[in-house]
Amino acid sequence: MNQSKLISIEEAVAEVADGSSLGLGGWIFNAQPMALVRALIRKGAKNLDLIPTPSSIAPDLLIGANCVRSTVCVFISFEQFGLAPHFRRQAEAGTLKVHDLDGPGIAGGLRAAICDLPWMPIPDLGTDLPKHAPDFYQPLPHVEGQRKLLAAKAVKPDVCFIHAQQADVHGNVQHLGPPFFDAMLAQASRRVIVSVDRIVSSETIRRHNHLTKLPAAMVDAVVEAPWGAHPTASPTLHRADEAHLAEYVKAAAQPERWQAYLQKYVVGAASNAAYLDALGGARLAALAVSESTLV
Amino acid sequence: MAISDDAPALGETLAVLLARDMADGEKVIIGTNSDIQLAACNLARLMQAPRLWWISGPGGMVNPTRDHLISTADFENIESAEAWMDLPNMIDFIDWQVHFFDFAILSALQVDRFGNINTVVVGDQAKPKLRGPGTVGISALCGLAKRFYVLLTRHDKSAFRPRVDFICGPGHLEGGDSRERAGLPPGGPKLVLSPLGVFDFQPGTKAMRVKSLNPGVTLEQVRDATAFDLVVEGTPPITVMPSAAELALLRERVDVRRTLQKKFP
Repeated sequence: MNQSKLISIEEAVAEVADGSSLGLGGWIFNAQPMALVRALIRKGAKNLDLIPTPSSIAPDLLIGANCVRSTVCVFISFEQFGLAPHFRRQAEAGTLKVHDLDGPGIAGGLRAAICDLPWMPIPDLGTDLPKHAPDFYQPLPHVEGQRKLLAAKAVKPDVCFIHAQQADVHGNVQHLGPPFFDAMLAQASRRVIVSVDRIVSSETIRRHNHLTKLPAAMVDAVVEAPWGAHPTASPTLHRADEAHLAEYVKAAAQPERWQAYLQKYVVGAASNAAYLDALGGARLAALAVSESTLV
Repeated sequence: MAISDDAPALGETLAVLLARDMADGEKVIIGTNSDIQLAACNLARLMQAPRLWWISGPGGMVNPTRDHLISTADFENIESAEAWMDLPNMIDFIDWQVHFFDFAILSALQVDRFGNINTVVVGDQAKPKLRGPGTVGISALCGLAKRFYVLLTRHDKSAFRPRVDFICGPGHLEGGDSRERAGLPPGGPKLVLSPLGVFDFQPGTKAMRVKSLNPGVTLEQVRDATAFDLVVEGTPPITVMPSAAELALLRERVDVRRTLQKKFP
């Protein structure tokens, strides 16, 4: 437990084999593990099966870079910017297999995996979901007088990417904002890779130990990636970059613009530092949370 | 102030109509991307429902107090909340408990004659005409809350369908007692609100019925914009639009940044 789990971002993504199932943490425009996603695209990942919790650009960018063959969809949305552009296009073209899961399906599935059980009972809510995702839902025998139930099959990603605000080198990971599904996703995954905005001392971790949502035993590797959630927010440190999200959606609408986007921000920016340089210091500084923006 | 005399924007009208239907002490969950829902709950707390209890679905913050609208997932809700629950401790313990929530308010790509809703796909799931964002908590909330509301910021034949292409939020299913026969607890959709009017469900058949028409809207116009036959009983009344007092509260205490006017003009 005392060994350092701090590794480089290249080392972290090198261990993600083509064809892996990949969990992605965060929530829509919050704490998407973007630095890890961009590094994985640069590595040339192929045929991934994504398991994103409610999300936006993390799965969409991987889909737009042609790294994905299937994805779970709990909720993939660009909220005020509309539908997720690449997810939508590839789903509508029929080239991306989509497994629709509801909250009970993903939560029940993760809980089953956490407990090493094959499935977890969830209520049958009368939806069309089980019909379209038979690999994830199965009917359970109905006992007269009891509620109708489904079996939510265990959801156990080969690896998951999570972004949090800080960790120590031992892998104690702290969330300074809502943890969303991250703790469940980490417990359910075979391998857990976390990027953080900053590495802090173990003393800092111990001083605020109620913030440790992922204790070291749940974490396999930690990567230091300042602003690694950009363009989504890193709760309490910086907000989502709405101008960048709008630029992304616009670029995604047109093939040449999309290639230019990938070149500038993903393939051509060979490291997290190069990505931040491509954005510019003033741009990033304007997103930092300050007292005046908390009114 | 002249600002409160302006005609309400669509988002403001919907928020006021929803707020009026909430009772004091009710428990509510507000999901992601929910400006109108959030405004409605905070407005109700300033009117007839001061002890309305709401929790952020994504973030677990309880009753944050703000004079403007921010995403329910936003960490800024933490500092003014009275409690802050982790998602794993609330999703199944709260969402899946029968009738824990009095109501939820949900948007949709499609709603049908029996109040089933769809946010997944238009067309076939394997190769959809339009791929929507997905289901998240909608199934559990429609299935298990005491009632739910459906909020649509457009009213046309592509949104008001005889049958939704994909049921992700169960309403009255096939109508009549089919919801109970499917083993779901009592409940289902109470009201559907659109830019044209307010709709409820006829007792017995559970088919969608015109409850009131917004000012200047004709029955013919609503029929032309709806892809199934609405139940009409007599001459529907005109929707009582937001009062100056309701709008003043909304604009001065709930949404000082006028987010609703900007997003839902």
